[in-house]
Amino acid sequence: MIISEHGYWGLTDLRVLVNADVLIRARDYRSVALRLTDPAKLALALLALDGFVERLLLLSADLADDLAASLSAQFGADAILTDLDGGLTPAVPNRLVWTGPTSAGPDQSPSPKTATEWTLTTSGTTGVPKLVTHTLASLSRTTKGAATAKYRWGQLYSMERFAGLQVFLQALLGGSLVLPGTEWPLPRRLSYLADHECTALSATPTLWRKILMTPASASLAPMQITLGGEIVDDAILGALAARFPASRIVHIYASTEAGVGFSVKDGREGFPVEYLADAPGGVQLKIVDGHLFIRNPAARTIAELDSASSDASFIDTGDAVAVIGERCYFLGRASGVINVGGNKLFPEEVEQVLLAHPAVKQARVWGIKSPITGQLVSAEIVPASQDYAIEELHKILHRYCTDRLEPWKMPAIIRVVDDLEVNAAGKVKRSPQ
Amino acid sequence: MNKEEVESRIRSAFAKTIDDNGTKIEDALTDETVLLETALDSLGFAILVARLEEDLGWDPFSISDTPFYPETFGQFVAFYADNQP
Repeated sequence: MIISEHGYWGLTDLRVLVNADVLIRARDYRSVALRLTDPAKLALALLALDGFVERLLLLSADLADDLAASLSAQFGADAILTDLDGGLTPAVPNRLVWTGPTSAGPDQSPSPKTATEWTLTTSGTTGVPKLVTHTLASLSRTTKGAATAKYRWGQLYSMERFAGLQVFLQALLGGSLVLPGTEWPLPRRLSYLADHECTALSATPTLWRKILMTPASASLAPMQITLGGEIVDDAILGALAARFPASRIVHIYASTEAGVGFSVKDGREGFPVEYLADAPGGVQLKIVDGHLFIRNPAARTIAELDSASSDASFIDTGDAVAVIGERCYFLGRASGVINVGGNKLFPEEVEQVLLAHPAVKQARVWGIKSPITGQLVSAEIVPASQDYAIEELHKILHRYCTDRLEPWKMPAIIRVVDDLEVNAAGKVKRSPQ
Repeated sequence: MNKEEVESRIRSAFAKTIDDNGTKIEDALTDETVLLETALDSLGFAILVARLEEDLGWDPFSISDTPFYPETFGQFVAFYADNQP
């Protein structure tokens, strides 16, 4: 069942709604881009087109028109299905506009013709989205049918993103799905989920902290809580357990590099060291030089099976970890990439912006821990002259960065120092420790 | 540090963070003001917490034994006042 502003859709409703005229027409194309702001229409389109078109591109509704057009061209879409009035026509030959209400079509269930490839956009560290292709099988690998059939999932992610699709697929496997409007402010979305008796919710640690700080969360009564997408800390796990004592709390670790992950159910941050010998979810783990390596035995190639070395198929996740006692903890990205509430950035980008200002001689940028967004950007600079008072320099640099960086890349703290340590190559040492 | 002093330091850091955001502080902060209904979003709030750690020298989120995420300005001030090193 799908619950949205359109009402309650049971299986019999869905069977005819997926045969709406516009969806039947979309099945005639090979490669279809979806740019739907209404999550209920997106749900119908996914149900209607999977198995019928060869390739689907899920464009974020919040992408700018030119970016949506260039991604559609890169994907090679021969049609776009959209509920927006905007452009895109030059980039895509055929345009199917789906404004107005949803409508029922004939009650028929044609047999699927093909295994549709699902292509999603990911926001990388560079700010330019990349296309990543999945199959339904790989997307639903972590979803489990029978165990979750009793849940009514609330959608807090954008459904065209990886995490949002996980929730959608999980809900389809026997449970039901509540879709609040994607444009609604958080308190309204939370009240909607509570009013429709949603029992399972998935969100990032940053969003969960925000939920707990929102008075409307008092009316929620989830039985299942999932966290993922960022490092999870004991504080958010403890606060969720205190607020929702009846709920089962799970945090998910997923490696985009390896395309696999595992879940941790004991309510504590990190994972038990026993996982290094025997990990759940059919994966194998090991630590090499402080990096977590992961291996998915199911994905081994024939050559690897023949090879004497079992190390061949271990993939470096790029996540730095440390074992303390009986627990393995995540420290962050080994590359130094900073994750601010799920938004990633390279410290070098911020350093370059700071260094471009004539008042700055040297700059060093790194991630600091934040109890609210996981990490934040911190900077140290050496001024080029003594012309400015520290307070004034702060103001100037803040304004300068605001004009050149996205909000999450802004240094939360800028320390003015006399000197920065340089390494043998004459470069500023990054790690302040 | 007594609660009045903590509150006054928080008010000044709050105003500065909002000012940095280029937004104007709309209404006076009262104990009942919901933090996320002010001009600060959750990123702005994270920045405020980082700056308060610099200014006050402590982070109640890591000191407190009981994990807690305050909803209102009054709860926020009390959380800082009650969880000092």
